[in-house]
Amino acid sequence: MDETVAEYIRRTVLKIPRDEIKTMLQKWGFLSETQLQTINFHQMKDNISQDVVQCCEDHSASIKQAAVLDIIYNHSYPNKRMWSVYQMNKTEEETDFFDLTDFRKKFKRHLRSALKNVTINFREYENNAIWIRIAWGTPYTKPNQYKTSYVVYHSQTPHAFISPSVLKSNLPLLCQALVVASNYQDIHEMELRSHSLNSLEDMVFKRYSQNFETYCPRPLQESTVAQESAGLRIVQENINEKERIQRVNRDTFGDGPQPKLEFAEYKLETMFTSDPKLEVLDKKEPFRCMVKFHSPHLLESLKSLAPAGMADAPLSPLLTCIPHKARNYFKIREKKGFFPGSFVSP
Amino acid sequence: GGLTPTCPLAGEWRGRMEEGKAHSLGGVFAHLEMLEARAREAAMKQAAAEQRKEQLARLEARVQELRQQRDELRAKVELQEQGQLGKRGAMSDPAQHSAQAVLEWKIRKVKSTLQVFYLTGISGKLTKQGVCFCISTAYEGTYLDSYHLDLLTEPQVRIHHHSIPIFIPLEQIAKKYLQTDIRRFLSVLSDHLNAYVGRRYQADQLQEHFSDQIEGTMQRNSLCNLLVFNYNTSSKSETFPFNARLLYGDLCCSLPTEVIVSSASDAPAALAETAAAHSDLFRRLALHKAFGS
Repeated sequence: MDETVAEYIRRTVLKIPRDEIKTMLQKWGFLSETQLQTINFHQMKDNISQDVVQCCEDHSASIKQAAVLDIIYNHSYPNKRMWSVYQMNKTEEETDFFDLTDFRKKFKRHLRSALKNVTINFREYENNAIWIRIAWGTPYTKPNQYKTSYVVYHSQTPHAFISPSVLKSNLPLLCQALVVASNYQDIHEMELRSHSLNSLEDMVFKRYSQNFETYCPRPLQESTVAQESAGLRIVQENINEKERIQRVNRDTFGDGPQPKLEFAEYKLETMFTSDPKLEVLDKKEPFRCMVKFHSPHLLESLKSLAPAGMADAPLSPLLTCIPHKARNYFKIREKKGFFPGSFVSP
Repeated sequence: GGLTPTCPLAGEWRGRMEEGKAHSLGGVFAHLEMLEARAREAAMKQAAAEQRKEQLARLEARVQELRQQRDELRAKVELQEQGQLGKRGAMSDPAQHSAQAVLEWKIRKVKSTLQVFYLTGISGKLTKQGVCFCISTAYEGTYLDSYHLDLLTEPQVRIHHHSIPIFIPLEQIAKKYLQTDIRRFLSVLSDHLNAYVGRRYQADQLQEHFSDQIEGTMQRNSLCNLLVFNYNTSSKSETFPFNARLLYGDLCCSLPTEVIVSSASDAPAALAETAAAHSDLFRRLALHKAFGS
């Protein structure tokens, strides 16, 4: 077995948390159950990885098989990578009978025609998601297995989730191959980025819980304000206002969990409005400024702002439109014309 | 009044006088004073006791008075209440009953009508800016997912929000029918959605209930309009499994338009006939039903 392959397997196993190593190796399916029994999974990770490599030696694992282990690891821990969303367009309106074998063939062929030294692996998952792992090389060197790009594509959808490698120059090639393989015409990057792949999928495929007005019996959620049994003589002075805030919040955000985003960035290119006598800025130039909101879970924290009393309900539409517009990068320019104020550019 | 010395005292006095003319007059007077004081004390005590008795009697009388008052008031209140009830019962009972009953019946009827609309598959609710439709899908008696469409009506009819899966050609259908014929738009969209969930249901059922007859993994896609799989006719793994390729050309239909069932190239010829028969079966019956037969 190639030394580089052995080293790669060893390093991949070291990335996996110790309790998960056995399950992941089972999912990988390269080592038999009897072989897995021989490995002691309670020793130090260094030793576990050495044992695994030893077992793989017996079967002469190739780089393709090692790559599958890497895909399994990244599928279990997608939040370790930063994902961008890309959108594809096509003009023809024919129904697409997405054939997986066809897709794989076209993708490989297109990519390999431009660059021979690539390792391409596919793995399909239950929810029609296709995971593609690409390790890039150059015309003169073998693919670098540690600098990989990942693409997650759901069949018959115009969106792709790409986690690019450090070698950004390969990105156009990757996008082109994707467009050709999925029968689309062009591709562009959306203003949406996050570590949480599932949340990106939820937002783009509209799988999160939006609030729709219907007559359908929707189970009413009990008011979260706890009624104390001893508080019969305690009257909440602001109960009307509190209930209004809860109602507005519910209409804006819906009942269910929000998609997980870590930040939202607003680039302002608006004019600085001040007292003309102050003459702060002589030049009539837009005042460039960037506001970035960071949070472990941005949308949940926005949802809790009004009930916590830190902001007025309803919140600014610039904040609440994030899941509907499926974007977290905004450019706000001055609106020219009759209405002073700002508008959000596409 | 004071106590007049009684005979024994007089006797005692005389006795004393008799006894000892030695006692001076001062001693006698002191004795008299003492007796007077004693008498005064006793009189005062008696007076106090009598006063207390009187007060007690007064208070008791007051208590009685108050009790009587209370009883009277109680009786009055009871009478009033009874009187009110009596009034109510007498005058507005039948009228109130019927008005309330009619209202309740109306509410029940409206609720059940709304439920029926929801069950028919397309229901809607007017919103501030337009209408919100709910398309509920079903396949052969099983209710599956519901999808929502929030439409704006001013200045033109357009889609505001929706929860339609992205692989359903919503824009295409909207371009064709939304402005001109909203009923047709909803009907076509509902057909697409119902067919999609029907195809998905069949594929899911096949994978769930007949997994022992399927060899390897089944290839499908988001719209479930192309299914490719290898299968055996029984749960034992046979030497020549069949390969089925089902193409659902019509997105509004849950049955395939094209079925290709083939066996391996080195399989006996007799299997080719079976393959053809299966192909026909898949074209006519729902997938999981075809396997069940």
